[in-house]
Amino acid sequence: MILWKLAFRNLRRNRRRTLLTLAAMVASSSLLILSLGVFSGMFVDMLASVTEQYSGHMVVAGKGYLDRREMHATMDQAQAVTEQASRLETFRGASPRLRSFGLLSLGDRTQPAEVLGIDPTREIQVTQLHRKLVDGRYLDPDEDHGIVLGVGLARKLRAEIGSELVFVTQAADGSIGNDLMTVRGLFDTGSVANDNGLALVPLHWLQETIALPDQLHEVAITLKDPLQAKPTAAVLAGRLDDRLEVRDWGQMLPEMAEVIASYGASTLILSMILYAAAGLGIVNTLYMSVMERTQEFGVLLAMGLHPAQVRRLVLLESTVLGVLAMVLGATLGFFLTLWMKTVGIDLSGSISSITYAGGTILPRLHAEFEFRNFWLPSLLLLVTAVLAGWLPARRAARLQPVEALRED
Amino acid sequence: MDLLRLAWRNLWRNRRRTLLTVGAIGFSLLLIQTFHNLAIGSYRQMVNSGVRSGSGHIGIYAGDYALSREETLSYLPGELPRTITGLADVQQVVPRLYLPGLAQSSRESRGILLTGINPELERQINPFLKRIPDDRMIRGLDSRDALIGDRLMDELKLKPGQKLVITVQHRDGELAAELFRIRGVVRTGVKEVDHSLVMVGLNRAGRLAGIPGQVHELAVILHDSAVDRPPLKEVQALLPTRNDVRALSWEEAMPNLADAIKLDYASQKFIFAVILLIVSIGLINTLLMSVMERIREFGILIALGTRPARLRALIAVEALLLGAVGMTVGCALGSGATWLLIEYGLDLRWFITQELEFGGVVFDPILRARWDWPWMAGMGLLLMGICLLASLYPARKAARIEPARAMRHH
Amino acid sequence: MALIELEKICKTYRSGNLHVPALVDLDLQVDTGEFTALAGPSGSGKTTALNLIGCIDQPTSGRLRIDGRNVADQTVPQLSDFRLYQIGFIFQSYNLIPVLTAEENAEFVLMLQGMRPEERQQRVRPLLERLGLGGLENRRPSDLSGGQQQRVAVARAMAARPKVILADEPTANLDSSTARELLELMRELNRDEGMTFLFSSHDPLVLEHAGRVVRLQDGHLVGDERKDG
Repeated sequence: MILWKLAFRNLRRNRRRTLLTLAAMVASSSLLILSLGVFSGMFVDMLASVTEQYSGHMVVAGKGYLDRREMHATMDQAQAVTEQASRLETFRGASPRLRSFGLLSLGDRTQPAEVLGIDPTREIQVTQLHRKLVDGRYLDPDEDHGIVLGVGLARKLRAEIGSELVFVTQAADGSIGNDLMTVRGLFDTGSVANDNGLALVPLHWLQETIALPDQLHEVAITLKDPLQAKPTAAVLAGRLDDRLEVRDWGQMLPEMAEVIASYGASTLILSMILYAAAGLGIVNTLYMSVMERTQEFGVLLAMGLHPAQVRRLVLLESTVLGVLAMVLGATLGFFLTLWMKTVGIDLSGSISSITYAGGTILPRLHAEFEFRNFWLPSLLLLVTAVLAGWLPARRAARLQPVEALRED
Repeated sequence: MDLLRLAWRNLWRNRRRTLLTVGAIGFSLLLIQTFHNLAIGSYRQMVNSGVRSGSGHIGIYAGDYALSREETLSYLPGELPRTITGLADVQQVVPRLYLPGLAQSSRESRGILLTGINPELERQINPFLKRIPDDRMIRGLDSRDALIGDRLMDELKLKPGQKLVITVQHRDGELAAELFRIRGVVRTGVKEVDHSLVMVGLNRAGRLAGIPGQVHELAVILHDSAVDRPPLKEVQALLPTRNDVRALSWEEAMPNLADAIKLDYASQKFIFAVILLIVSIGLINTLLMSVMERIREFGILIALGTRPARLRALIAVEALLLGAVGMTVGCALGSGATWLLIEYGLDLRWFITQELEFGGVVFDPILRARWDWPWMAGMGLLLMGICLLASLYPARKAARIEPARAMRHH
Repeated sequence: MALIELEKICKTYRSGNLHVPALVDLDLQVDTGEFTALAGPSGSGKTTALNLIGCIDQPTSGRLRIDGRNVADQTVPQLSDFRLYQIGFIFQSYNLIPVLTAEENAEFVLMLQGMRPEERQQRVRPLLERLGLGGLENRRPSDLSGGQQQRVAVARAMAARPKVILADEPTANLDSSTARELLELMRELNRDEGMTFLFSSHDPLVLEHAGRVVRLQDGHLVGDERKDG
């Protein structure tokens, strides 16, 4: 108890020094929290560029389809899959899809495209493409010949709303499927692959055009928590018949899953680097404060304070400093992250979208909250403070009372 | 000179504090220099492999093809490859034709990018073709041989030696199809590319699209020594003035890669700034402490007739000396670490086992640093500047000491 | 049996290759209730003797027994506890803890002993009152005069009712009237409470008040006189 009182008052004694040390610690942890928040924001964008704008968090398909996207590897258990999926705890939506690769032409321009047959009312529960429209509208539920495509693709075709496109592909029966369709809307996701090569068409229209009536290639599913995709996929797989397989986004994008998984290690390394720099400052301050109190420690020892108690006193001071910095740093970090989340910084003037690990980083700085962005830096800061207190504390505990008293 | 000697002695009065401060300065300099050198080294690796399979260090395009990828912007290169290769800095000029199209096997079809190349030249510079054995290369500019992305081949359910039909748009607007035979398989590690790449002979591709002899891109590959100063103007001067052909640096031609590097380096700079901020606060703290504990002494100095300006100068010189020692230590450590990272590299496979694509280029998993002496020196001087700045407030405090009060100070 | 027994105590300080003898074969006994001064010019070894008796320094050779216990046999924590419960210190430069108030300083040893707050207050308040510090309880040392600070130091040393109070030149930084006042106070406490006081001093005022004066010179005992009364 008395040690606590002494520790607090000693910190207050040289207020300027304590505040400067605290400032260095708070600056390092809050800015670290902010940058981790921005990294999280990038990861969310990256993951979303693939999952929420294309594949969903997991995909159910006939065995073999997902590896080669073979046109004939179809499934027809849409009903059963949707029903089982909707019983999952974090289920958000499921969308049955048919996929075809072909050429889109307008006038004398032709571009290859991936054409995805969807049910608009179901698809909007899975992907966010309907929120990324920059022109026109999304597909209507009873639409027949409408198409919604990426802005890059439209630019290359010189297509605009109302343009009549020709779609040519190989149908399942070996014939050449082709039909006319009207451009209804254009989406701009920032993801290079989607904007330059993806088009959405009504499911039943595509089923007819490529001669696969009532057939599907996959059911894409989104969850409320993407990080739960792996265990959830395993659960769902157990409930479906064994002609089907389930993949989560981590299996579909192993490189991105690894980047996100290794993020923990990078966080740790970055924190340690910053705190090593901050830690040297703390060691210095505490040493100074121990050195200039040498005589005082001599008195304390002469009056019967155990060396272990002296050590505890100095460690207590560094711990109090660490806890204070931790709380202030986390608070400031929270507000900085909040600011970056709500306001953010638009970089589209100076850079474009960047592909990374199979996804796309959008040209903006924007933060996301993640619990570990807070607890990891905070905990490490406290550890740094306690470690930095260790050497000065040991020195204080090893003082010889007579020599310490003689010190002036 | 007296001032310098006095400052130097003062610095070592509290040896532990000075050493710790020197440690903090040196450590931060070590971090900043090493990370910077590692970053520019790895960017160089990315750019080297990126430009060789992409635009070249300098790309020559008609109109805004680099951005719009507008198929009609093809041009006849004429004598350009020969004249540009004549420049001293240029290692190679590689022609390419890019045609979006559809590839069909007997059962599947996929959208592709048909790339017409000069197999012989391409092989010398494109890192992805270097791995392909001789007997798997396209035989000549006119052959029906094709190289194909490994994922694409899988999806088309084909094997080397089998045939596929490629349909592209003829310049007159009609679709034109032709049969090719898979000769070799390409794996770049970039998913998008491995899903869509088909390479064939340049002449065969040009005739298929009705634009024989034309190209979309001349990729100019430079000698290593010239990479930092691309001879953009010299190349531009060789281009014909009549049509809209222009030379672009790789940064303009491959914005994905350039921006990836920009973004990565920006986040590094942020971390550098945080490190410098922390060190600055620590410096102010140290210098302030050293002044506060000498208040009595300064009081006596003033009482003996020392001018406050001289005290201020003394403290500034102490700070600069501290900075100089810190800088020396930091530069030594930074150079050592950089040397290690050049000799042995940093193996990313400790963290990530997958091939990693960034900005359209696959990382070499072993990052290697690169010397950047001017930058390292600049950072050292910057830190000395910070030391000087950090000494301003403590110096002002010392100069304002009132001798009578200071001498009573305990 | 004497409270403090020094038997052939030697203490040598080393400074570089130089060995400086501070105490040479010192034999001394101090009984409970004495009010004794160690006198001698500076460098005579009196502070060294006091430090040894206070267990904050160790003799080079010889035997030191306090309250029947051989100090050399004690471990470091045991010595700490011994100082905490049996010995009170008063220093020449007061050495109060700057961040604690007068009352907290006086209570400090009791706090270390783990005494409850009410009990501490009961013990310390009257002591401060008696030392003329009533009303100054909440002041920090920096707001007290030298005499007041030294009185707080006396209160701190006495509060735990140790067997012996060691005072190293307690009056050196005080003016003579304050010094006299303080000495009379300590003498009173010595009579009323039976507490043993051991001073080191060359202040004639201290020697005048002492019941026994032990004289040291160059580390040797050169005189030991007892006054009656």
